[in-house]
Amino acid sequence: MRIDVYVPLVLALLLTSIAPGVGRRVSPGLAARVLVTAATLTAAASTWALLLLGATLIDQAPAVIAEAGEEGRVLPEPVPETVAVLAVAALAVIAHRLLHVLRARIATRRLLLRLCEGHPPDSELVVAASPAPHAFAIPGRPGRILVTAAMLGALEPAERRVLLAHERAHLTHRHAALSTAVSLAAAANPLLVPVRETVAFLLERWADEEAASAVGDRRTTARALARAALASRRARPGCALHFSEHAVTRRIAALQTAPPPVMRSVGAAVLALGALPALGAADATSDLLHLLAGTLPGL
Amino acid sequence: MAGTGPHGRAERRSAGELESEVLATLWATADALTPAEIQAEIGGGLAYNTVHTILKRLYDKGLVLRDVDGRRGAYRPAKDAAQLTAEAMHEALDRGPDPIAALQQFVTGLSRQEEAALRDLLGGSGP
Repeated sequence: MRIDVYVPLVLALLLTSIAPGVGRRVSPGLAARVLVTAATLTAAASTWALLLLGATLIDQAPAVIAEAGEEGRVLPEPVPETVAVLAVAALAVIAHRLLHVLRARIATRRLLLRLCEGHPPDSELVVAASPAPHAFAIPGRPGRILVTAAMLGALEPAERRVLLAHERAHLTHRHAALSTAVSLAAAANPLLVPVRETVAFLLERWADEEAASAVGDRRTTARALARAALASRRARPGCALHFSEHAVTRRIAALQTAPPPVMRSVGAAVLALGALPALGAADATSDLLHLLAGTLPGL
Repeated sequence: MAGTGPHGRAERRSAGELESEVLATLWATADALTPAEIQAEIGGGLAYNTVHTILKRLYDKGLVLRDVDGRRGAYRPAKDAAQLTAEAMHEALDRGPDPIAALQQFVTGLSRQEEAALRDLLGGSGP
């Protein structure tokens, strides 16, 4: 238990350090899927490890002391008490962060449903008569695509097809669910925040690649992105700089080269990296149960 | 500039996708368009009859208006629902960046250098 229980916490750093490289070299669809899976496993394992550390405080519980005392046993102390108390504090912070993500997602979901009001339910495209260029996917059954009139007016016909295909790809491949999963993982383990950023970029790249193959032309896809970005720039000139500031140019640059290869071996390696912390957590769990069972036969 | 060329693949697009495309075309312009004009704009080997069928479906859903601007057979998008959607969207955007930040927007911001590079990419036909 001594080492195993800390393994999930450290392995998150390894995943964070390889994520950008995987994102650059492997096809975005595969990279996003394996990174989300590995991040989710890692976050679940590290949270479980904190629970185990917190559970070592169980020997402080009056009932446990009473029972153990009667039998004259010495209670195990697998980790220092300070560590256990810190783990419990970290769990409280994690619970708060998870709730925050869930609340934000629910608020967004509610807003999106409200935006669709008044539009026929069997119509994919929802237009907003707005002079500000925006476009985003609205997940659901069926999923829908919201685009403002300004965005449609800024693009040429083939580029509008790119835009629709891009948003459609977000819907078909359930990008919203992947994004929620990785956000929850990053909330549970802040070391995974860079993985969340990488995945956010990869989901856009994935939709770009899908759009390029639907329209059959990478050049037109790149032009659609450039024109949409310029139109947005004009509409929001004073907009503060954002971390994803360089995302559009990087996406355009990626479309100007050949699509990245589907490297299943790299995908498998990332998944293995996600499975390791889970194994560590499982091992630590059986160790703790063993310890407790040895001391307290009634447990 | 019409979207004709080697890239249109009408045969691979579903009815729902074509509806979106025709509706997007009507919203992209200030003018009312006839089926022939829409066909020319979309390109990609879309048959006139197909355009006509899609317009009929959009009309039945109340998404487009027919015979507007005194032009028989010309279509324009219906604005009511779209205006309500725009109001709700701006209300949410003004409240703060949070609800929209969680969305996967088609594009994000640009720096000045990036802007210049994108203009180069678009060449003469850029805005």
